[in-house]
Amino acid sequence: MKEVPVKIEHDGKWIVVKAAVGEDRITFPAPVNQEILFKSIFDLDERKSILIVSAKGNPEIVARIASVEKVLVILKRLFLAHCNAYRLMAYFMSPAIRGGVMIKNAQWEKGSIVVVKTGIWFVSAVKQVCVPLSDVAAIELTKRDVQGKQTDVVRIDHVESGDVVSSLILCPLSTLQVLANFLKDATKGMDMKGTELDALDQQVAMLVYSGMDSHAIENMLNIPHKQLDAIYDRIIKLGIAEVVTIRREVQLTTKGVRYISDATKTQTN
Amino acid sequence: MGTILIVDDTLFMRTLLKNILFSGGHTIAGEAANGEEAVAKYKELKPDLVTMDVVMPKVNGIEALKTIKQLDPAARVVMCTAVGQEQMVKLAIKSGAKGYIVKPFQAPKVLEEIKNVLAS
Repeated sequence: MKEVPVKIEHDGKWIVVKAAVGEDRITFPAPVNQEILFKSIFDLDERKSILIVSAKGNPEIVARIASVEKVLVILKRLFLAHCNAYRLMAYFMSPAIRGGVMIKNAQWEKGSIVVVKTGIWFVSAVKQVCVPLSDVAAIELTKRDVQGKQTDVVRIDHVESGDVVSSLILCPLSTLQVLANFLKDATKGMDMKGTELDALDQQVAMLVYSGMDSHAIENMLNIPHKQLDAIYDRIIKLGIAEVVTIRREVQLTTKGVRYISDATKTQTN
Repeated sequence: MGTILIVDDTLFMRTLLKNILFSGGHTIAGEAANGEEAVAKYKELKPDLVTMDVVMPKVNGIEALKTIKQLDPAARVVMCTAVGQEQMVKLAIKSGAKGYIVKPFQAPKVLEEIKNVLAS
C-alpha cells in the first residue's frame, strides 16, 4: 500500500488527503472515507488535470481527483489497467493526421486501447490520451501502408479544440473488426447513415469543415444568401452543424447618408 | 508568403484551396487540372510552391512531381489527396514532396503546413 497526495472534491470543496493506493483499490481517508475497487470503475475522464472516476456502488461513486502530473499518471495507469472496460493490446498512432495535415514523425506506439463508458483511452508507456466518445466523428476499418505492406487498421476521427484529428489502431484483423463494431455501437448516436444530403449541401458542409465563412461559400458556389441560409437550416436540423455567429447586413438611413456625404465633403475640401 | 500553383482535377477543390491560400496572404500563381498542365505551368510560372493532387487524369500527381523535381530539384511540392490514400505518402516523399495534406482539410492547418514548407 502506497500513499499519494491528492486533492479530492468532497461536499463541494476540494480537500487535500493522502490516498492509499493498493493493488486492487484506492482508499481516501477521513473526512472522505471512501474506497474504490479498481474493478468497479466503469468510466474515467480527464478534464484540465482533473480525473473523474465513476465506479459502481450504492449509490454510484463519482470521484474528482486532482494532483501533480506524476501522481495522475500513476493513478490513470492503475485505473486503466484494472477497470471494468473493453481492453486490447494494440499498436496505435495518435494523432496521425491533424486538420488534414499528416503529422511528421508520427510513430506506431505499443500499448493498449481501453474503451470506458464515455471515452477511448490510448495507453502506452509514455502516453495516456483520452478521446471522448462524444467527440468521435468517424470510425472506419481501412488499410494503411505499414512497413511497406497494406495492413488493416481502425481509423478514429475526433474533434479536438476545433481540429479534426485522426488516430490509427493496428492489431490482428479479427480484433480490429470486433473493436470497430464495438466502437460503432458505442457511438451509434452519431451515426449519419440515412442522412441524405444533395451534392450542393455536401459541398457547403465540406466548405464549412474547411473553415470558409458564409460570404466565401456564397462566392465560391455562386449561390445567393437565401439559398445558403436554406442549406444551413437543413444541415443544422440534421445536427451536422450549429450556429456560432449571426451576422447582419445593413443599409444606411437618411441620417447615415447625410453623415457620409458630410464626411466626404470634409475629406475633399 | 509565396506564389503558389494549385493542381487539382476538380474545380471545387481548386477554388477551395485558392480561397484558403489567398486568405493566408499567398499569391495564386496559377491553376492546373492535370499533371501534364502542372508541369507546363511550373516551367512557365516558376512558383514558390505547388499543391499537387495525387489522383488526376492524363499524368497523375506523383509522375508530375517527379518531372518537376527533375526540372527543378529545389521545387517545393505539397501533395494533396483523399482520406484512405495516405499510403502514397512514402512514394511521394521518396519522390521529393515536401509535405502532404489529406482531404478533407482545415484551413488553419493547411496554411501552417504551407508556411513550414515555404520556410524550409
